[in-house]
Amino acid sequence: MSDPVRPKLAAIVTTCFKMSHAQHIVDRLLDGYGWNGTHHYPPMDLVSLYVNQVGANDLSKERAARHPAMKMCPTIAEALTLGTSKLAVDGVVIVGEHGNYPRNEKGQTKYPRWEFFEQMVKVFRDSGRSVPVFNDKHLSWNWEWARKMYDTSREMGFAFMAGSSLPVTWRTPSVEMPLGSRITEALCVCYGGVDSYDFHGLETIQCMVERRRGGETGVQWMQAYRGDKFWEALREGVWPRPLMDAALCRSHTLTPARAGFNHIFPSVEDMRRLVPDPVAYRYQHADGLKCTMLLMSGLVKDFNFAAYVDGGREPWSTQMYLPMPDGRTTLANFFSPLVNNFEKMYLTGKPAYPVERTLLTTGLTAAGVESLYRGQTRFDTPHLAIRYQPTKESTFWRT
Amino acid sequence: MLTRRGFLQTTALAAAAAQTQPKRIAIIATIYRLQSHAQHMGDRFLVGYPYSGAWHKPDMKVVSLYVDQKPEGDLSGDRAREFGFQVYPTVAEALRCGGKQLAVDAVLVIGEHGNYPRNEKGQILYPRSEFFEQCVKVFEQDGRAVPVYNDKHLSYSFEKANMMVAASRRLHFPMLAGSSIPVTWRLPSIDLPLGCRIDDALMIGEGGSDAMDFHALEGLQCMVERRRGGESGVKAVQLLEGDAVWKAGEEGRYSKELLTAALSRSDTPLGLTVEDGRTQNLVASGELRKLAKKPAAYFIEYRDGLKATMLMLDGALKDFNFAARLQGVPRIQSTQFLLTPDPNVTYSACLMHKAEQMFETGVAPYPVERTLLVSGILESCLTSKLQQHARLATPQLAVTYKPPQKSQFAQS
Repeated sequence: MSDPVRPKLAAIVTTCFKMSHAQHIVDRLLDGYGWNGTHHYPPMDLVSLYVNQVGANDLSKERAARHPAMKMCPTIAEALTLGTSKLAVDGVVIVGEHGNYPRNEKGQTKYPRWEFFEQMVKVFRDSGRSVPVFNDKHLSWNWEWARKMYDTSREMGFAFMAGSSLPVTWRTPSVEMPLGSRITEALCVCYGGVDSYDFHGLETIQCMVERRRGGETGVQWMQAYRGDKFWEALREGVWPRPLMDAALCRSHTLTPARAGFNHIFPSVEDMRRLVPDPVAYRYQHADGLKCTMLLMSGLVKDFNFAAYVDGGREPWSTQMYLPMPDGRTTLANFFSPLVNNFEKMYLTGKPAYPVERTLLTTGLTAAGVESLYRGQTRFDTPHLAIRYQPTKESTFWRT
Repeated sequence: MLTRRGFLQTTALAAAAAQTQPKRIAIIATIYRLQSHAQHMGDRFLVGYPYSGAWHKPDMKVVSLYVDQKPEGDLSGDRAREFGFQVYPTVAEALRCGGKQLAVDAVLVIGEHGNYPRNEKGQILYPRSEFFEQCVKVFEQDGRAVPVYNDKHLSYSFEKANMMVAASRRLHFPMLAGSSIPVTWRLPSIDLPLGCRIDDALMIGEGGSDAMDFHALEGLQCMVERRRGGESGVKAVQLLEGDAVWKAGEEGRYSKELLTAALSRSDTPLGLTVEDGRTQNLVASGELRKLAKKPAAYFIEYRDGLKATMLMLDGALKDFNFAARLQGVPRIQSTQFLLTPDPNVTYSACLMHKAEQMFETGVAPYPVERTLLVSGILESCLTSKLQQHARLATPQLAVTYKPPQKSQFAQS
């Protein structure tokens, strides 16, 4: 039996190159990271690493050479058993992001998160024991598989965490949605593509709205708008324009609408010129809350949230701030609170926040894709009747 | 010659008359070109800026502009045409809007960027005090004075800076100055508790002398001024460079623990992080010394005994981070002063909100003495550099003031 004070972890990743999710996460476990005003070394050991695609730009071999206590393993089973016949680690980190994987006809990248999970679960079953699991980003591109991942974790009784950095990163301003708030409308203006950053935008919204009175009740339907239909919906006021404007006022990256200006508020005409492929996901929760996630690549490069709270007329808003390493910064430090939160799970055996959040946002991402695929029609989501309660304590980066 | 009494009466009458109209602003700038300070700060009064989750348009009108230089890309004429104001050939004419009397309610002096010579200390001789003096001359001649915001430090010369502050006291007009660093977002969003006892404080930054060192020093000052007793002034400074900086660290002149804490807040470690994305403990690994090839340490000895250090670590990082040890508080306090991305530079909106607040209320939200002191610390540090890095006594820097009761950085 391994030292309960210092858990042993296995990491199962698609690929590990500079700025890939696996690099950000694995390096924080191996080399530590800035946390609470010191360089924090996680009180646990990454003892094995499985990499599904080792490309020319691979960094895993360099990491293994520098950290000989971490073994490179050719199979998931070996990474989990460490060459024995049984599960020999105390926790598993699955990072199924980046790498060359096919896309389906709906535009979803078929990252093998479910496949990794299944192989891991087989070792759990064969060993008669399971350990806490963190899964980076959404659970699976395929809703049925995502649901099975969740159900399996419940059936086998292991702690399970997943999701994006957005719920846990810095906020400007550093505010939390008060627990038990009444929220009627919530919205996120962000950027990126479908089946990619839309998930982050949805997690941005969900980590806030789950704190509303009664907790999460699930989602009844999803309607996506893209291109001309997006502009039509904006004109018709399908989502509250004041929330959209408030969210844009939280951005630090608003593309100047006019030459010669560094920061100027855009008109709708400006937006149409700047955003060639806008996407909106509009959806309704079972308790009536309506949410809107707007992908406006070309206009912003950050994640901004706004909502109507407790009957207030003025929008309540903040930015989920990512120090994105696009030249201005060099470290994707928003991975630090993500790693720090899942470290707690490996130490306590309890998730830092409910995986149901990510089960729901996984379903919402797939539902958005489905609505687009079905010609931007409303897609009913009875399968997303997911109820859960948020954590009382805030889990975003404040210290 | 106006009596003081008459001067005050005229000022009060004019202030009462102006209450119903939007405040009239003059901008006095070195240059007005895209991404120059004058453009991104001045424009906030023309097109508005984000504040507290809304696009805020100041209830003020820019009525005149003076630009000292019109380089390629000059926008002064375009802005004047679009926003209906005049560009005047002199500071005085801008303040009088071409008439015979002071015709504005506030002045924004932005003397940053443009082509100006450097002195032997490496300071760029921006004509801030010259602009300011011309404003003061108009105030005196016309018997009325209005609030003045001065961007960045007051002057490269403490003597001139001191005269500027003295003029604002003599003529009783509110004055605000300084960097965006004290008012921008912080990660984490913390301030030092007012009245705390500081054992040790350290600031790290980059960007070379007389450009970014001022910002770093003001970042340090806006934190330490909150200590018990308020600001007491500075009795000596010393600037070290090169290996002497590392040697001073070995000798304990600054704390490696605080350095680690400050670096733990950075999002921009260079070297191996740039090469392959890895996180780094730059102090423990020894990489810091390899990366910061020309480090500089600015040592500041305050009159109440506090010693603080600012390290310029060009080559090792690209952001501004602070750490301090407080008496009776086990955990080191540390934070990053967030300089938000180009081109929006939303930190300048945070700063212009403070200028607007002063223009609106007639009260500076934080004391100009902070910037006066930092202007003097900077000049004396650069003098130390010129004098073979000698420790210099700074009796002239007996600048005392109380910090604002309320935190002034972006939190809403």
